[in-house]
Amino acid sequence: MLLHALARIGQTLAVLFVVSVASFGLLKLAPGDPVQIMLGSEYSPEAYESLVAEMGLDQPFLVQYAHWALNFVQGDWGTSFVAHTDIFTHAFKEALPVTLTLASFSLAFAILIGVPLGVLSAVKKDTAFDAGAAVFALTGTAFPSFLLGILLIWFFGVKLGLFPVMGYVSPWQDFWTGIYHIILPSLTLSTYFIAMITRLTRATLIEVLEQPYIAAARARGEPNWRVIWVHGVRNIAMPLVTILGLQLGVLLQGTVLTETVFNLPGIGQMLTSAVLGREYAVVQAGVMMTATLFIGVNLLVDLSYPLLDPRLRDRK
Amino acid sequence: MTDIDHRKILAERLSTQLGRRTLLKGMGAGIVAAGVSGIPGVARAQQSGHIKIASVKVIDTLDPHFTGFLSAIQIINNIHNGLLKITYDGETVRFEPDLAETWDLEDDKTHLFKLRDGVKFHDGTPCDAEAVKFSLLRVRDGKPTSPHAWKLSLLDEIEIVDPLTVRLKFSKPYAFLPVALNGSTGRAGTIVSPAAVEKYGTEYGRNPVGTGPFKFVSWKENDAIELEANPDYFEPGLPKLERATFVLMREASTALAALFSGQIDGMTDCPMQLVDQVAAFPEAELYGAIEGNYTFVGMNCRRAPFDDMNLRRAVAWALDRETLVKQAYFGKAQQAYTPISPPMSGFFDPNIAESGRGQWFDLVKAKEFRSKAANQGEVEVNYIMAERGPVGTRIAQTVAPMLEQIGIKVNLELIEPAAWVSRRNSGEFDLYDFEWVADLDPDETIYPEFKSDGAWNFCGWKNTDFDDYCAKAQVVLDVAERRKLYYAAEDLLMDEAPIAVMAHMPIYKVFSKKVQGFNYIPADLVNLHTVSLA
Repeated sequence: MLLHALARIGQTLAVLFVVSVASFGLLKLAPGDPVQIMLGSEYSPEAYESLVAEMGLDQPFLVQYAHWALNFVQGDWGTSFVAHTDIFTHAFKEALPVTLTLASFSLAFAILIGVPLGVLSAVKKDTAFDAGAAVFALTGTAFPSFLLGILLIWFFGVKLGLFPVMGYVSPWQDFWTGIYHIILPSLTLSTYFIAMITRLTRATLIEVLEQPYIAAARARGEPNWRVIWVHGVRNIAMPLVTILGLQLGVLLQGTVLTETVFNLPGIGQMLTSAVLGREYAVVQAGVMMTATLFIGVNLLVDLSYPLLDPRLRDRK
Repeated sequence: MTDIDHRKILAERLSTQLGRRTLLKGMGAGIVAAGVSGIPGVARAQQSGHIKIASVKVIDTLDPHFTGFLSAIQIINNIHNGLLKITYDGETVRFEPDLAETWDLEDDKTHLFKLRDGVKFHDGTPCDAEAVKFSLLRVRDGKPTSPHAWKLSLLDEIEIVDPLTVRLKFSKPYAFLPVALNGSTGRAGTIVSPAAVEKYGTEYGRNPVGTGPFKFVSWKENDAIELEANPDYFEPGLPKLERATFVLMREASTALAALFSGQIDGMTDCPMQLVDQVAAFPEAELYGAIEGNYTFVGMNCRRAPFDDMNLRRAVAWALDRETLVKQAYFGKAQQAYTPISPPMSGFFDPNIAESGRGQWFDLVKAKEFRSKAANQGEVEVNYIMAERGPVGTRIAQTVAPMLEQIGIKVNLELIEPAAWVSRRNSGEFDLYDFEWVADLDPDETIYPEFKSDGAWNFCGWKNTDFDDYCAKAQVVLDVAERRKLYYAAEDLLMDEAPIAVMAHMPIYKVFSKKVQGFNYIPADLVNLHTVSLA
């Protein structure tokens, strides 16, 4: 077991190393010069040279990478070119919580809406309700989140004036105001997942409901709700957790657009402006955090299997 | 942004739309529940005079001597003052003393500034002759080099006559001085607190300390910049607002939604495509006019095919400006004949359309020049475009078919903005379009842009006569004589056509009707000095 854990940690570190080299290299290879962007159009060549030297961009690529990597592992994530702010504070303490909040609320929405909808579709298979849910699921998967976000803003924010269209308040500090601000963005981001979970739940449950133990439960005379919600639905947990772990990347990707549309100061917005401004160290911080998050969640998914399925516990 | 009172807005909206009973029934519980948790931010928002404005463009730093962006100057100008300031009476742009009480010309190279007495920086240190000297030297000689250092390269000597008097000696008469020394677009004459610069060093841009009507409070990354009133501001009765928040929003349509739903009071910039929507909204007031700018299609004179002057001339005459204004600028811009633009009082010719000067659309003339070009076969060129600037890729897409008519096949190449800047600066293009903005003097509008081998001369055009005219004009203080020199320089530029000039753009700001007393200045400024909230 210990060996297994060590191997997993080793794997994780190797992946993070590869990711860091790749993102650093790709951004350096991409055309575009952070100094030119910082200075705008009206500057002198002296100002340019002076800034390049100050930022250490006159060093060779490997030196820049090694410099960054050594500092990074020691917890010094550097300062951003333009803002001169400490990247660790900005990225980890300020931006990450925003994105995590958005992502967790979206996931919660997705599960709370997607699972019941899927269950009802499965139970009412081939009825008008099922067809309606299928149409909704297809539309939901196909709808680009930025468009949906703007539509929601105009309808709920401007037409009805029900929700704020921008801004972030941490629900951990001020619960109701926080929730109030996060509802529209979370809905926007979760649509895709609601649709996906609905379809997954429906398909899995239809299969489950044909299993002998369901027939047995019915034969025992258990009430219908118990058969479905207790014996049936618990079987969705495994595929659901697996898919959510794998789709976390899509979720994090979705936060980029959602945060931009709703003006939330999270990792997505941070990464967008950092990539456009060629803020190498900020991009690295964002990439490393999301990569770690992705790997971490998938590790948790692996570890959760024995908890979700007793049959896997017995193998030990 | 915690202090936007959504519940109040919500309650008001619902009460007007649904009637009171429905409101109490439907939403009452939510409002009470939220109210109980006690939100400190909301209590703050109840105070009068807190304006919230969306800033939709990138802000790099609040250090006036280092920013390259007008969006930053909009905020900087509320925190700092310059030796001079820009004023506008609806017709004429003027330069007037700001931190200086009087401004005298002792001879054509020597300027005497008497400073206002008793002005203090926000950190309590006095704004005196020493501080002025410190700021000017920081721009001229400071390390790292200020991008605005060139504006003071003619400044020879700064003499402190007494604690409130400073004498500036220039090596030559310097006609550009009023622009260089104003606290707005010039930036070089913005006075910063020496104590703060010493304290914060390169972090000054995140901790600016000036003499302006507002003090800097905080800057939260990708979120908001907060300012509060400076009660000791030297202009009596100003500022009127207690607080000002610049909400940093990247998405203009979200900002517009926030404005329409009353969550913010204005936008520092209203993109042209949203102008009609704003104009149709009764609660919003649009401010804007043609400003000191010009847009153009630039041609690379360093390499074939546009090293051929006749081919460039053909392009310059083949662009249908009227169509361009309609397609790319939604009919909002004004056709340009030469770079000098309307707010440059004394230099812009209001009758330029009839004067016969400059470039305009004339397909016959374009074809004539085309027939003189060295390459009579089909010419294939590349045009770099990016989703950047006020018009994105619209100009490129409108220009391409126009050039098809004179036998130039345009390959549009869409690249990412940072890459676009790189390509433009290193001259790897045949065509590109760009705009020089917020210029108030002909010098800054054409000289650094087209000076032979100049750093901003991306087209690589060279003409020593042009350089001479501009250099001469720089040291002539008489407006009529200067104008003559700039017209001569412009005529050369337009004739040899490294660029095809297209339009002068209006720059819009939008505020809700609640916002009163905004003094519009056609230099893309958002001065909140006189603004109040009804």
